[in-house]
Amino acid sequence: MTARLAVTGWSMLSGAGDDAVGLYDQPLPQPSGHALTGFDIRRQLGRKGTGFFDRATGLGVVVCGQAIADSGISLETIPADRIGVVLGTTAGSLKSTMDFSAETLTQDRPYLVNPGLFPNTVMNCVASQAAIWYGLKGVNVTVAGGALALFQVLRYATRVLARGYADVLLAGVVEEFTPHAAWAAHLAGRPPAGEGAAVFVLERADAARAAGRRPAAELLAVSTAFGQDMAACVHDVVARAGLDPAEAGPLAQAAADRQKQIMLDAGDCQAASAGLELAAVLAVHRAGQPPDGAVSLITARTREGGCGAAALKGYGHAGGHHG
Amino acid sequence: MNRVVITGLGPVSSIGVGSRDFCSALLAGRSGIARIESFDTAGFPYVNAGEVRDFSPGEILTRLDPAQWGRSSQFAAAAARLAVRDAGLDPGRVAPGRAGAVVGTTSGESQVIEALTAQLVAGGWAAMSSELLDRVPADRLSNAVNLELGFAGESVTVCTACSASNYALGYAYDILAMGEADVMIAGGADSVCRWAHAGFYRLGALTEHACAPFDRDRSGIITGEGGAALLLETLQHAEARRARIYAEVLGYGLNCDASHMVSPDAASIAACMRLAHRRAGVQPEDIDYISAHGTGTLANDAVEAQAIFEVFGAAPPPVSSTKSMLGHTMGAASGFGAIASTLAIDRGFLPPTINWTTQDPALIGLDPVANTARQARVRVVQNDGFAFGGNNAIVIIGALT
Repeated sequence: MTARLAVTGWSMLSGAGDDAVGLYDQPLPQPSGHALTGFDIRRQLGRKGTGFFDRATGLGVVVCGQAIADSGISLETIPADRIGVVLGTTAGSLKSTMDFSAETLTQDRPYLVNPGLFPNTVMNCVASQAAIWYGLKGVNVTVAGGALALFQVLRYATRVLARGYADVLLAGVVEEFTPHAAWAAHLAGRPPAGEGAAVFVLERADAARAAGRRPAAELLAVSTAFGQDMAACVHDVVARAGLDPAEAGPLAQAAADRQKQIMLDAGDCQAASAGLELAAVLAVHRAGQPPDGAVSLITARTREGGCGAAALKGYGHAGGHHG
Repeated sequence: MNRVVITGLGPVSSIGVGSRDFCSALLAGRSGIARIESFDTAGFPYVNAGEVRDFSPGEILTRLDPAQWGRSSQFAAAAARLAVRDAGLDPGRVAPGRAGAVVGTTSGESQVIEALTAQLVAGGWAAMSSELLDRVPADRLSNAVNLELGFAGESVTVCTACSASNYALGYAYDILAMGEADVMIAGGADSVCRWAHAGFYRLGALTEHACAPFDRDRSGIITGEGGAALLLETLQHAEARRARIYAEVLGYGLNCDASHMVSPDAASIAACMRLAHRRAGVQPEDIDYISAHGTGTLANDAVEAQAIFEVFGAAPPPVSSTKSMLGHTMGAASGFGAIASTLAIDRGFLPPTINWTTQDPALIGLDPVANTARQARVRVVQNDGFAFGGNNAIVIIGALT
């Protein structure tokens, strides 16, 4: 995967610091949770076309729009079939699916489900609704990767852009806070559930430069591995990024510290966690702290033995602040 | 860029398990539709589905313990194991980091989620089993394949609904073409479940007894299940191990309708066909057979036929739908279509559209290969996959030249 990618815009939403009290009528396993309590789909997107949106769809569509705006890209200037969406999830909306499934058990007749909600049970719902909302007719894909989803999304996006299948991709991860997610985390003995969405506008670095868009980040390498330890995955990504192997240790430590902090602040956002970590790196650059071109790593692992790592260079000058 | 070939087929289906039985069933035009056994159908007006009866994962799997995995993961892993056996490949002789899996699905571990829902409805939140909760993540489907085969490369579960297997084939093809792996499993898996049966019924898209694609009186889908896996290799890798080569993946096209969640769009599908042809380096007149998405709903078949006429003119190549035999196996559907396409090339026949009785006056000129398989020289096949969300994916498979 040789073609270097530029992040030319990005946005994120997270429930860090918020409190889920009052969001749902159903009981939660803990008195509070990490959720965007102020997030309201109708207020953000209006009533038209959003009637059947579940929370994940609302979060995803809103963040895609914010990321496009941040990039400064005018959608009219790019053919619709050259812009695509690559999103990652764990299992789609568990709430939408279980609510729909529950209707088959609780209604007078098992088939008395609401057909308008049926597409929400399908895991490609968010990416498809984002495509409809913004008129994006290019490659549209959803991958289920849990904690590794962001890395799989970035690898998929890299290949799509390298093959020339698209010019611009909205690549990101979305997870919603619901009683279902909260109870699932609680009963499985995982950290408290959170929610979040992060979307990154990706282009080939050369094409972005030619279009006069300055990158918020340059993606150097993304690795995933199965049945290896994290150190091997980090070593691989550092080597492929052309970095000094001596940097691997400190960069990986910084990634692990960031991961821990985001877990504390925003809860376990599953597929979205690594997206929030990448957004946190870019936010620090945007705030002008590390020098332009400073390298960061993002890492994640799953309990089943999967690892993911991404290496990037951040820049503080880019994004929606072109003036 | 490497050329990419198909060397192994692993169907786990309602009409046959393993490539030989599956091929015989296609040739015989067998139906896998029967009364549903996997859930209680009391209260449902329609009670048929294409379930894989007598699926014994323990007899196929050699490393994975079926008791630890949901049904869809079992389908995926069993199909993959059959595909490597069919290919005569000992997975232990492949460099683990150069081998991986891309598995497509619509609903992942739907039966696991339904079991959790039943626990929740009956006993409240705390009644949900943590063991089942651990099996919900859909990435387990591709992880199951890699664990079963000892592969350590890419493990990706693509969840683009009913075209997901074609996405998986396309992505595996890219990974191999770009030289980032030597061997990849690609395909899809899904399980029959209550909620899909109910959802399609309420959409008016479910039929009662027989799925009859392209028939005038077609009235919908029948839900199905199974696992479909194809073993893809670089041509170089296949030749080095003197593998039997069934066919070559020539290319594929993806696009998105971006118009409606459940209604297909003929212009967008036609654009996807043209894109697939361009990427594969073929012309419409090169296509000998179209393995249709062919769900058997009024809307899908009309729209798919319209797109075919637009791209191929008034006399397109023969078009048939394996869904007439299998029902709609969701994320596995275009994987079964790809297996049927590959067998069509290898064995020289056109799989039939069964249950066909009456010409649709709107589809005159479209040859559905009605009811009986037909001998034919098949060099290039177009395998269609469409989905909720307008996720269109079309793969072009050709005889190795």
